Amino acid sequence: MTTAAPARTRTPRSLRWRVVDIVVASVLAVACSFVFIAWNVGYQGPSALLTPLLPGVQGLANGLWFLAGPLVALVVRKPGAALYGELLAAIVSALVGNQWGATVIVSGIVQGLGAELVFALFAYRVWTWWSALLAGALAGVGASVYDLGLVPGLAGYYAGSGTQFGAVYLVSQAVSGAVLAGLAAWVVVRALAATGVLARFPAGRARRAG
Amino acid sequence: MTGLLARAEPVARLLVALGFAAVLVISVDPVSAGTALVLGALLLPLAGARVRRVLVQAVPVLVAAPLAAVTIALYGAPSGRTLLAAGLVHVTEGSLVLALATLLRVLAIGLCGIGLLGGVDATRLADGMAQLLHLPVRFVLGALAAFRLFGLLGDDWRALALARRARGVADRGRVQRFAGQAFGLLVLSVRRATVLATAMEARGFGGPGPRTWARRARFGRPDLVLALGAAAVLAVAVAAAVLAGTWNPVAGLRG
Repeated sequence: MTTAAPARTRTPRSLRWRVVDIVVASVLAVACSFVFIAWNVGYQGPSALLTPLLPGVQGLANGLWFLAGPLVALVVRKPGAALYGELLAAIVSALVGNQWGATVIVSGIVQGLGAELVFALFAYRVWTWWSALLAGALAGVGASVYDLGLVPGLAGYYAGSGTQFGAVYLVSQAVSGAVLAGLAAWVVVRALAATGVLARFPAGRARRAG
Repeated sequence: MTGLLARAEPVARLLVALGFAAVLVISVDPVSAGTALVLGALLLPLAGARVRRVLVQAVPVLVAAPLAAVTIALYGAPSGRTLLAAGLVHVTEGSLVLALATLLRVLAIGLCGIGLLGGVDATRLADGMAQLLHLPVRFVLGALAAFRLFGLLGDDWRALALARRARGVADRGRVQRFAGQAFGLLVLSVRRATVLATAMEARGFGGPGPRTWARRARFGRPDLVLALGAAAVLAVAVAAAVLAGTWNPVAGLRG
């Protein structure tokens, strides 16, 4: 009887969620929701400082709210991970209560879909810093489309604002999402992988092998 | 006597809160938002919302509402007589009305949302999401399990603080200390989640075979009353705005 070298065997890629994927994704999402809840109050400072510079630039402060999608996706690497992470974080944020009421659940869906789109376009195979960056940016675009009231039948927080405001706001949110959600998620996942706590995930194994 | 909210299914409360906010954001006008705010403030305490808890939870809302209104007043779509123009700032009669509408809308959505959802029991909510909304069971219960892990967070934080202090790694700047400890807590949470997943699988979670429920969730009379009450408030708010001639679906604002 021969034994294969265990270090080199690769488990075949499966797109089905394991229980550990679900629970760890949920824990990360709830952790992100704490960041969101703190930021629901904390963003007021930066936002108020940015607003006078150019209307719409306050979108630069919003990227932190898109963090859950890229973060959860980078760890579990399954279809729907970005959407699930952002949605769950939004539901927790809605339950705690905030100035946007239950509409944050809609925000969570559009932001999650934005990030999800990027990973889906790469067939759930590319998990690099630049795909995370793109996912964060697209989450910002998704958020803007809703905030500016461009989704038919749904009015957003800044619905009714002018075109100029809208354009600046969309670009600001995309840039902010790329850095504060995309890159930040990638940095956090890399740090998590370095601790060995992601041993049951491809994200953790890739790091170990490299 | 327990209030209507306590007897309603948490899922019903969430759906009502979502529907309430979804209708209020259709139109940016002061009449519909103001009516909904006043009626909500009158009816929610009757339904069993605790005024003190709502106000405490609503502090961020009370801060955010005026700020959002000022933004819209300065930069909102201009219309009517111009009152002040400097660079990109256009304060017009139209933008002031929009600002008032934004203020009332944020207050109505925020306060009524907190009133409807305050003190929801996560376990009952998850029961309802799986049994009534038929969302994927593994995800709903996985999320609930993760959510409930965070009940341990306060103790973890204190233990981590003591451990780090004892090791002498927590003596640097305050921001650094907080960031490092928060990351430690995240690592701890992920590790615990991994163990929890193993334990859940060992007990057959996610396995084949039918699932049974310890607590049955079903819609009943309180849910109907809650939904009808919210629908009535919204109907009055919309009717008032239409009669006052201020009903203004958002699409009409961008011309």
